[in-house]
Amino acid sequence: MNHDPVAWGRPRDDIYGSYNPSYLPPTRQPYSSHPPSHPTTHTQSPVVTGTSVLALKFSTGVVIAADNLASYGSLARFTDVKRLRPFNRNAIVGFGGDVSDMQYIDRLLLSLVVQENYAGGGESVTLMNARNLHTYLSKVLYKRRTDFNPLWNALLVGGLDEHQKPFLAYADLLGTTYSAPSLATGFGAHLAQPIMRKVVPDEAAAAKLSKEEAVKTIRECMKVLFYRDARSMNEYSLAVVDVRGVELKEDNKLEAESWAFADQIKGYGTQTV
Amino acid sequence: MAALSHHHLSSTAPFAFQQAPPQNHSGEPTQHAFYPYTDNGGSTLGISGKTFTVIAGDTRSTSGYNINTRYAPKLYPIGGQGPTHKGSKIVLSVVGFAADGRALQERLDTVVKMYRYQHGCEISVKACAQRLSHILYNKRFFPYYVQAILGGIDEETGEGALYSYDPVGSYEREYCRAAGAAASLIMPFLDNQVNLKNQYEPAAVSGFDKKQLVPQPLERPQVEELVRDAFTSAVERHIEVGDGLQMMFITKEGIEEVYFPLKKD
Amino acid sequence: MSSPFSINGGACVAMRGKNCVAIACDLRLGLQSLTVSNNFPKIFQYSPTAFLGLTGLATDVSTVSELFRYKVNMYRLREERDIAPKTFAQLVSSSLYERRFGPWFVSPVVAGIDGKSGAPFICGFDSIGCIDYAADFIVSGTASDQLFGTCEGLWEPDLEPDDLFETISQALLNAVDRDALSGWGAHVYIIEKDKVTKRLLKGRQD
Repeated sequence: MNHDPVAWGRPRDDIYGSYNPSYLPPTRQPYSSHPPSHPTTHTQSPVVTGTSVLALKFSTGVVIAADNLASYGSLARFTDVKRLRPFNRNAIVGFGGDVSDMQYIDRLLLSLVVQENYAGGGESVTLMNARNLHTYLSKVLYKRRTDFNPLWNALLVGGLDEHQKPFLAYADLLGTTYSAPSLATGFGAHLAQPIMRKVVPDEAAAAKLSKEEAVKTIRECMKVLFYRDARSMNEYSLAVVDVRGVELKEDNKLEAESWAFADQIKGYGTQTV
Repeated sequence: MAALSHHHLSSTAPFAFQQAPPQNHSGEPTQHAFYPYTDNGGSTLGISGKTFTVIAGDTRSTSGYNINTRYAPKLYPIGGQGPTHKGSKIVLSVVGFAADGRALQERLDTVVKMYRYQHGCEISVKACAQRLSHILYNKRFFPYYVQAILGGIDEETGEGALYSYDPVGSYEREYCRAAGAAASLIMPFLDNQVNLKNQYEPAAVSGFDKKQLVPQPLERPQVEELVRDAFTSAVERHIEVGDGLQMMFITKEGIEEVYFPLKKD
Repeated sequence: MSSPFSINGGACVAMRGKNCVAIACDLRLGLQSLTVSNNFPKIFQYSPTAFLGLTGLATDVSTVSELFRYKVNMYRLREERDIAPKTFAQLVSSSLYERRFGPWFVSPVVAGIDGKSGAPFICGFDSIGCIDYAADFIVSGTASDQLFGTCEGLWEPDLEPDDLFETISQALLNAVDRDALSGWGAHVYIIEKDKVTKRLLKGRQD
């Protein structure tokens, strides 16, 4: 037996030869970079993460936003990670949570779009709409949680449904799904939802909201999040989906920040007066 | 100590810990496993009458102290035709972990639709109820984390039929049942008002000779009022219940849906 | 189930009516699931119209009820008058807070009528003396969830003494029937300005 603290309890390689991994269960992940003889690995906690995603319905579509930061714990590791992924002209997905799992899901979505394009490119064929996409994603997520191999994400799917009406829904690593006139993941659920719910308390209010109002609200919420969410940054992506398609801008900067409140904050042990 | 000199070998072993396992200094238990469940709150109830069954549930969905949405139905028509369940006469309500609830609903709906495809007639509530029990029990060791209530019309007698379940498929036919977060608040109220528990004939002699009132099937307006009272009461005292009340009345004609707003605080 | 509050089981409820109040408790005393006694009342009288209900750890129920007997007797000797329910509530609160870091494991309920003004008064406490004033009803004990449900469903404002008796009795009996740790009969007090009616209820014996 090997007594090396980092390989304790394993057969000693100098006596038994190196371990033959061919008896291990093969990796099942189709896109796994491991050689097939390695053990199956599961995400048990996220590593590189994205923070909140916000979205709001308005009269003819949906506004969605997420900042461009991917954190490694408390380190602001990557500052140009685009967390809004347009699917087709009907739908867009915003990702929170693990970035590598996001990239995996993005590859799934890419293969879907490719299939769809082979089937006729969207002009003659009915394209998948936002509702279809949300159903698909929620089933992928639920299947993976049931296999105890979760995709560590919380996502928002925004766009148009089968009647070209605004559609917005949430799905996460447990397969939990819900829909509302305004949605937010992570910190946004605490900080941005109260602001958004003031603007769209119900579906009727969302049906009356203008695109400009909706964009303004989302931008305001991104600012609030930057003030208080330590895992956020001031550069963000924002997309509007309506009948004219997906309009995505990935290099928005926070405007008119005001840190005037900052010197009013007392306490937390740093100041004595 | 000889073994330690082979340190370099361990770096090629597929199982060697390249990093030392995380040390926990806080004294709190280390969380390692992924937990596949969550609780989405809310409450449901069902009452069966002479010619109908009502299933009701609030429409709030929660996680912790957050409200996910104010409108997430917990009531699902089962069977019928197409995705709109046209002509369905069975309603399933699920409360607990909403994702499991949804999966359960889809399983049962598929089974009921396949039954019609294979047998050329609608499934009976009794058979549907037993099938639901089996679906739940099939996942005995990784359960659907839900409390289910199934309602319909008993085709032998024409009376309302109501079945309630635990997460692993133990089930029973009842006249009334509350489930979910506020079940402990609603159930004793229903015992008293529907099954007339602890109520005695007022005219009879006092003392131990008093006669228990015998429960009679209630009429629809009375039932609707009881359901509303039960939910407005639960909303006052339970934070996970609120926003809206959805009721489905199942009669031999089909399903009639009623929505009633509840407090949103 | 190893919480000191739920070892012995028990339930208590107080309600306000029109110029009257009611307080009721179950009679069970148990050790976890084993019932030891079916005659363990949890309501104690401290003046002609001031009552205290105590649920929680039975040894503390007994001790605390005796402690207040002593304290109220001392009050009466010093003040040469009966203690008012409101004053008694403050006494309960401060006495519980005195044991802030080693509390009595009880959830008290006070119900009474002010001797002078005739105003009905009810309130409840947590185990360290935070007062919960209520205009409708107060519940405590292992059946508190169930009591919240039945009281919220059955209670209405300005009930006359007889109707208040029926309401509190139904609320208590149906609540304890859904709690394995409470039940086995009940005591109900209806308190009016110059009259207290005590009734014993026979409930389910299981």
